[in-house]
Amino acid sequence: MTYKRSEKTPTQILEKIKECLDRLNEKMDVFIEVQRHSPRGNLDESIPDVLDVMTLLSLPDHLRKTAVTLCKLGQATADEVAEQTKRARAVESGYLNQLMLMGYVKKERRGRKAYFYVEKEEKE
Amino acid sequence: MSRIIAFHSYKGGTGKTLLSINLAAIYAKQRKSVCLFDLDFRAPSLHAAFASDGAECWLNEYLDGTCDIKRVLIDLSHQHGNGGKFYAGLANPATEAIRDMSAKDRKWEMRALGRLLSLRNSLLNDMHLDYLIFDTSPGLQYSSINAIVSADVVLVVTSLDTSDIKGTRRMTHELYDLFEKKTGILLNKVPAEMLTSESQKKGLYRKLNNMHMLPILELIPCFCDILRAGGTQIFVEEQPDHPFTRTLEKIAKKIEDF
Repeated sequence: MTYKRSEKTPTQILEKIKECLDRLNEKMDVFIEVQRHSPRGNLDESIPDVLDVMTLLSLPDHLRKTAVTLCKLGQATADEVAEQTKRARAVESGYLNQLMLMGYVKKERRGRKAYFYVEKEEKE
Repeated sequence: MSRIIAFHSYKGGTGKTLLSINLAAIYAKQRKSVCLFDLDFRAPSLHAAFASDGAECWLNEYLDGTCDIKRVLIDLSHQHGNGGKFYAGLANPATEAIRDMSAKDRKWEMRALGRLLSLRNSLLNDMHLDYLIFDTSPGLQYSSINAIVSADVVLVVTSLDTSDIKGTRRMTHELYDLFEKKTGILLNKVPAEMLTSESQKKGLYRKLNNMHMLPILELIPCFCDILRAGGTQIFVEEQPDHPFTRTLEKIAKKIEDF
C-alpha cells in the first residue's frame, strides 16, 4: 500500500483542522440554540422567539454580529449583510439561515434574491 | 462625521443627565446640530431642564409606533443653538407612563429597538443632524441596552465607588464588548484633592486604565457650585469660563477623535 505524500506543511494541516473544528463548533452552537428554542425544549410554548436585546446577548458572537446588522438594516440580502460585517457572503448566508432555523428571522424570496428580515415594516 | 452617543452607567446618580445636557450644549455652541433624548423612562429628567410644551408627543409614543419622530422633537435652537439646531426628545414623567413603560413585553422592546435604530436614517441622514445624544437609565434595563445597540459611542459615567467600579467592569465584558461598541470611561465627581498635581492625575489614569481596560476619556472633578445649581441651568452656557465647561470641551473633542 502506498501513501501519497502530502504537499501541505504540518502547520497548514493543523490550521485546516482548526478551521474544521471552528465550523463544527459553530454548527454545534446552532444545534444547541435550535434545541433550546424548539417547542419540546421550550417549557413555555406561548413565548415566541423574539430577537430583542436579551436574545442578542445570548447568541454566540458570530450570530450576534449578523443579527445586529440585520436589525440595523431592517431587511437585507446576505450580500448586503456581508458588506456591513466585512465577512464573506457565503458565511453570512449560512448565519442568516441559522437564525431563520432558530426562529428569529424570516426569509422571503423575490425573484432570484432572498431577503431576510426580523419583522415586516409596519405601514403607519 | 455624525454620531450617536449614549451615556450609560452601572449605578444611578453618577451624573449622566448633567453631562449629556452639557455635552449637547457644548456641541450647540460649536454650531453643530444636536438632538438630546431622554431614554430613562423609569426616572425621566430632561423635562425639568427643557419645557415640554413645545412637543406634540413624548418619546414613549414614538417608541410605541403611534407618533412620528418629528412630532416628538422640541426645537430649542433659538434658546440654545448657535447657528446649528438644538432639539430635545422627552420621556413622559407621569407615573402612569412610567408604570406603562415598565410593563412592556419583549416584542414591544424588539420593535422599540428597530425604531431607535431608524433614528440614524431619519435624523442623521435626512435631517442632517451632527449628534444624537441618548441619556439612558442605569444598569441593564431594556431601554438602556436598546440605546447602547443603537449608539456609535458609549460613554460610561463612573465614580470611585467600589461597587460601581466592579459593576462597570462586569458590564464592559458582558455588554459593551459583546456589541463591539466604542466605549470610553468618564470618571465623575473626583474629589479635588485627588487631582492637585499632574503626577496624581497620571497615577489615577493608570489605575483606572488597568481596572477598566477601556480608554479613560476624562477625570471630572467634583464641583460644589454645580451641585448647588441643582440642575436649574445649563452650566456650560451660564459659566463659559468655568473649569467644568473646559472639561466638557475636552470631552467633546475626544469624542470627535474617538
